[in-house]
Amino acid sequence: MSGRGRFPASVYGQGTEPDARFTLANERTFLAWIRTALALLAGGVALELLGLELHPGLRLAASLVLVIAGILTPVLAWFGWGRAERAMRLAQPLPSSPLGAVLGVAVSLAGVLLLLAILLR
Amino acid sequence: MTLFDPGLQPERTELAWRRTALALGAGSLVALRLLPVAFGHPAWAFGGLAGLMLAAMLWISSRRRYRGVNLVLTSDGDRGMLPGASMIAILAVIAFAIGLVSLAVVIVTALRSV
Repeated sequence: MSGRGRFPASVYGQGTEPDARFTLANERTFLAWIRTALALLAGGVALELLGLELHPGLRLAASLVLVIAGILTPVLAWFGWGRAERAMRLAQPLPSSPLGAVLGVAVSLAGVLLLLAILLR
Repeated sequence: MTLFDPGLQPERTELAWRRTALALGAGSLVALRLLPVAFGHPAWAFGGLAGLMLAAMLWISSRRRYRGVNLVLTSDGDRGMLPGASMIAILAVIAFAIGLVSLAVVIVTALRSV
């Protein structure tokens, strides 16, 4: 079982194998974040592309908030996965992730901008 | 195929990969439908088609990954060495790239309507 350098070494190079169920749960969490990112991107693009009858500046702002959140999410999800996996390998407490806050702020902000875009049309 | 975990975690993980492939596929179909019309050029179909291809590859590799995971766990137990994170990294890069393309689409659409 040695000599199998798994990618990335920054995660697998230290510690010992955690229970496989924790690793699989970490993997599913990452996948859920990727699906969230795709949904954010779809929402942001649809908002602009469908040419809805809304205040154009505010509509664009809402769209950008969603798309930027959708761009950040895969990056944060990757690092979140790595940090969680490393913590499990080293039997340390799981790290917190900014992803929840990013998602919450982005969706709320986009919602407010959209509401204004509807009201100020 | 031997069942390793009564909680069906390897199976649930494969389904999660498949759900992600489906989300990518659905988004690609919408992009395939909307982008060539919005930008008035058939070359814009490339994005949706590329996405569909990636979704199909992701779907296929889900099953391969599951087989690998199940093999390791049924032979080595719950501390067996699961596959590395290459697929995870690749997926993160794909999603990030789709994000950049989405940003470009939004900005170009906004500029064209000014």
